[in-house]
Amino acid sequence: MIRRALIDRMPAWIGAIAFLALWELAARFVWRDAQVLPSPTQALAVAWQHLTARELAVHVGTSLARILIGFAFAAIVGIALGVAAGWYRALGMLLRPVVDLLRPIPPLAWIPIAIVWFGLGEGSKWFVIFLGAFFPIFTNAYRGMLSIPPVLLRAARTLDVDGIELLVKVALPAALPDIVTGLRVGFSLAFGILVAAELIAADRGMGYLVMQSRQIGELGVAVFGILLIGIVSLLSDAALATALQRVARRGQAQP
Amino acid sequence: MTALRAHGRWIAFAIPIAVIGAFLLSWEIAAGAGWLRPILFPPPSKLARTLLELVADGFPEGVTLGSHFAITIERILIGYAGALALAIPLGLVIGWFPLLDRATSGVVAFCRSIATLSLLPVAIVWFGTGEASKIFLIGYGCFWVMLSNVVAAVRLVDPLLLRAARTMDASRVDLFTRVALPAALPRIFAGARVALGVGFMVIVGAEMIGTIRGLGALIMEARTFYRSDVTMVGMAVLGVIGFVIAGGLQRVEHWLMPWQGRASEPDA
Repeated sequence: MIRRALIDRMPAWIGAIAFLALWELAARFVWRDAQVLPSPTQALAVAWQHLTARELAVHVGTSLARILIGFAFAAIVGIALGVAAGWYRALGMLLRPVVDLLRPIPPLAWIPIAIVWFGLGEGSKWFVIFLGAFFPIFTNAYRGMLSIPPVLLRAARTLDVDGIELLVKVALPAALPDIVTGLRVGFSLAFGILVAAELIAADRGMGYLVMQSRQIGELGVAVFGILLIGIVSLLSDAALATALQRVARRGQAQP
Repeated sequence: MTALRAHGRWIAFAIPIAVIGAFLLSWEIAAGAGWLRPILFPPPSKLARTLLELVADGFPEGVTLGSHFAITIERILIGYAGALALAIPLGLVIGWFPLLDRATSGVVAFCRSIATLSLLPVAIVWFGTGEASKIFLIGYGCFWVMLSNVVAAVRLVDPLLLRAARTMDASRVDLFTRVALPAALPRIFAGARVALGVGFMVIVGAEMIGTIRGLGALIMEARTFYRSDVTMVGMAVLGVIGFVIAGGLQRVEHWLMPWQGRASEPDA
């Protein structure tokens, strides 16, 4: 079984290694200028010189904390409002127009106004990340609630399940797959926005690390930071997917 | 029955308008009564005057809203067109050969997960601080989204269609151009829609650095002059563009491929 999986993954690994090798060769023998195109090993070496393990941990930790806080807010508010708007029709009629009005504004466009409202500190970054993740989470939760088969609710009602019990035991598990989708879309958006938020005003974080490379004049640090953000975002996305899958399975298994 | 339905449609149209109207009105009243600080929440009436000012005089002086709008759209379209021109042929080839798809899938997934704006310092070194680096960033953002969608579109063509065509002795070229391509088209178009949305998101960030022209630059410049009203008008214009991109393309899609039925709502 495991061997089979390994063989299936083989081409992907060979492809990735070939890509890195090509990049390495092109950088070392064609461009030959680490300030224009640093090779992967050159980028690693430069980063090793300029960063201690502690500093690196601070950058990664700061960025992850910003994302988790903004995302957690978005998840709580988005799911609560989305589910409530789907459950109480009047609330849905009130909320939907406002959400539809604000949703097309790209999250990055909120950065200047977030700075005006919350200052240059952490608050504005949390707010922008919150906004980026909120809309897909809300929209999916709302849609999930609306697409519950009415038969399900009616069947539960004939069994005298009503009110909050109906919501928690029948409606929520039925809407769960959509809610999970919203959380995953929201999370990946949060990562893209984090970098922008940190480009504007920050003194630590992975986005800051990338931008700071211009001040110290080492493109290698930027390349290192870019790859770092990519790896961290892939890993945390995988972690979230596993966690959500577990939650979803438990939700579906509920009697 | 029809009267009832017309009545329902009228209500579905009137409620959002009423809610938004009430929202703007209470904002205006709260600002007028001094409950909201005008520097933080400029009232809608002030925003309307700012809009006129931006259209007539511009901000900074002389750069009108129209020219900000035009340069932003131009950057998006050039970067987007370049990305599609590269991603569609490449994606068709990768999708058609399963081994090639498996070999590249890791690299594509990784490049897609890289936050586009983190490439900014690299783009500046390669292309300078002018137009080219902004177009590169948009192109990069659109390219990987488009590529993975085109690959998926070809991979997800119903194998039954391909087998049926093979039993009818279709040549390999016919199999590709007359069976796989049309079957993949709806997903390719959906991918193009998502990619445009991504490009639109990237442009705002790309314009925040090293320029005073473009809507992203407008909203950022306005902040440094404590003109949150200008920022909000800029955001509203961006919102309208975003709305047109999301809604308008869906309509184009429906018009081009009526057999697909109504597409679902966009995800983000």
